Amino acid sequence: MADPIKPDQILDLKGLLCPMPVVKLSMAVKKLQAGQTIEGIATDPGVMADIPAWARTSGNELLSIEQQGKEYHFIVKKTA
Amino acid sequence: MTIQLVTGALALAALVFSISVFASRWAQMQRLSFAKDFSYPKDSALKGILYAFTLGMAPWAKESTRIHMLAYLRGIAFHVGIFAGLGALLASPWFDLIPTIIRIVCAVLTGFGAAMGVAGGIMRVVEHHLKAISTPDDHASVWLVTLFLAAMTLALVSSAFVPAMWVVAAAMLVYAPIGKIRHCIYFYFGRLFFGIHIGRRGVVSGLIEHAIPVRSEVRHGR
Amino acid sequence: MADNTAVSKALQVLERQLNRPLMAALQVCARCGVCAEACHYYVADGELEHVPAYRAEELRKVYRRKHDFFGKHLPNWVNAQDLDEATLEKMAEMAFSECTLCRRCTFNCPMGVDTPLMMRALRAMATASGKAPEILEMLADAAIEKGKDPAMFRDLFVAQVAEMEKELQALVGDPNARITVEREGARVLYVALAGAHTILPPAAIFWAAKEDWTLSIYEAANYGVFLGDTARAKTIASRIIDEAKALKVQEVIVAECGHACASLVWDAPIWFQEQFPFRVRSLVEVMAEYVQQGRLPLDPSANPEAITYHDSCNLARTSGIYREPRVILNAVTTNLREMTPNGLENYCCGGGGGLVALPEYDDKRMKAGKPKVDQIRKTGAEIVVAACENCRLQLGDLNAHYSMNVQITALADLVVKAMRLPKSVAVPLPNAAAVAVGE
Repeated sequence: MADPIKPDQILDLKGLLCPMPVVKLSMAVKKLQAGQTIEGIATDPGVMADIPAWARTSGNELLSIEQQGKEYHFIVKKTA
Repeated sequence: MTIQLVTGALALAALVFSISVFASRWAQMQRLSFAKDFSYPKDSALKGILYAFTLGMAPWAKESTRIHMLAYLRGIAFHVGIFAGLGALLASPWFDLIPTIIRIVCAVLTGFGAAMGVAGGIMRVVEHHLKAISTPDDHASVWLVTLFLAAMTLALVSSAFVPAMWVVAAAMLVYAPIGKIRHCIYFYFGRLFFGIHIGRRGVVSGLIEHAIPVRSEVRHGR
Repeated sequence: MADNTAVSKALQVLERQLNRPLMAALQVCARCGVCAEACHYYVADGELEHVPAYRAEELRKVYRRKHDFFGKHLPNWVNAQDLDEATLEKMAEMAFSECTLCRRCTFNCPMGVDTPLMMRALRAMATASGKAPEILEMLADAAIEKGKDPAMFRDLFVAQVAEMEKELQALVGDPNARITVEREGARVLYVALAGAHTILPPAAIFWAAKEDWTLSIYEAANYGVFLGDTARAKTIASRIIDEAKALKVQEVIVAECGHACASLVWDAPIWFQEQFPFRVRSLVEVMAEYVQQGRLPLDPSANPEAITYHDSCNLARTSGIYREPRVILNAVTTNLREMTPNGLENYCCGGGGGLVALPEYDDKRMKAGKPKVDQIRKTGAEIVVAACENCRLQLGDLNAHYSMNVQITALADLVVKAMRLPKSVAVPLPNAAAVAVGE
């Protein structure tokens, strides 16, 4: 699943354990303008469940989430 | 005789007031909810309650009272004086019938209690943090009880002071259930809930191990 | 207008929470002040604001203004105070960032004043009035969302577990080692935390102990608890409780996590007013049982480093789990060095009560962790073991902040290291390996 989206910001969440990836992502998203995108790269597999759930409750849009080897990449678009 | 009658009646009325307000506080507590605990207990709640009201009160059982040993012992002596004073108050209409030796022992306890009350009152002003967390009610309460203990000591030594003591006792008894002194009934609830917690959750045996230093394979917390 | 709404909501919550234990805590304090040194915040800086009695008075002032004779008629006499929005915000910050609900003050109080209960009440008031830290709310809501729609992540989770299963097989040298997900009829449902680190080591231990177990798709953490929000906490817990009931397990085992254990073992049966048809225990208790039953082939010489154990407050003082970790440690190392004090008198690491997830309070958290740092340093330990994820995160941050040069680890990791396993056989790991995950 090649991703054509070029994110506005890249967030390194490698090595962080739950709930820190979600915490850091939500803080970073707060600073974005509506419509901007951010790519998170994490190593904790927990993000595969936590990020989609977070996106739903926070109202932000999860554009993609995938495993690449030992890393988990996801792109979120700030909606409001 | 008239003074005795008037002050005695005053003290009695105050006692009735005090008991009534305390009783209504007790009833209010019973009306509040206390959720049934459906968890699987790790140990016995009763064991925890017993510890909370006995060994758990020992000066060496808690780090706080080990650090503040003198202050804690002062408090214990103060409260021993109070219990002696309240006992003496109930017996006060019949002081003349009480053997001198008992009156003297009682007077020593209340007298020492009063001295410890003075120390407590001073501590509350001198110790920076203690002063900051104290309310005017706290200061008034300790001095009122101290005054009662002093008056009781005098009354035990000479019956001439009994009417004066009754006046002071009346003031204390009226104040007790509405001011800080009311903690005396909530104490039982506070320790009870603590006891249930440490009992059900299997904490109590470790605390007993602290309080009674016996040989144990694994020592905790010393 | 908005002011009144927030304040009145907070006050309504206070009224609703007034039960017998809370009333006792609000009424009984004699302000003797001996609790001061019980608090790790106070030990760290000696400030008045960190005397537990001072903290609790903040709530009592408001309570007295409403309910106390003097509070109503002569407020200054008992320092009673009307609640306004600024005070509410200050109190909320205090309850979330200057108390980790560790219960050390309660244990040290001559009256047994339950300060954490009051701080929880304050947290509930703050949450109801929109003054709680946003991040805790977000984490709680995300967990609830997962419970509403497990299909959203279930397949991904199962696929991840399949990967982990291969790692397990390589680790224990048994191509038949399994990690099943939500398998009906298993004796044990193990509830991990998010991430492999709380799944793989316990899986190896269950394998060695020949436990009949299966893995929950949910994580044990419950951020509703930190919010003091019973409704949210119940919803989060119900995911696991319903799962365990559906699978008909006999026991739920909670990962090495303090608040998760305390909330599922002790709080949930009260929230739901129900005795669950299964027992709930911490992984720590179960591992200790395996050790005592001789079900794990352990070699204590496998962990020769100097090791100290940090007692999680939620495990020791709240859940009575202070002997079990030592049973395990004595079986997996010969070089255990206890902190002073430890066990039931242990200091909080400074990360409890959800604080570790709140970056806005990082400075406070590092400062409050200093007594723990001093304790650890005195032991000369190279490895600090903690059976709680919050503690481990905090200890990790303290390690970096104070350059302690220690390694932070979970009990299960040490157990696995000490297990005498058959030499890791070269397990074939074909991509299409048959994996028993889920139904």
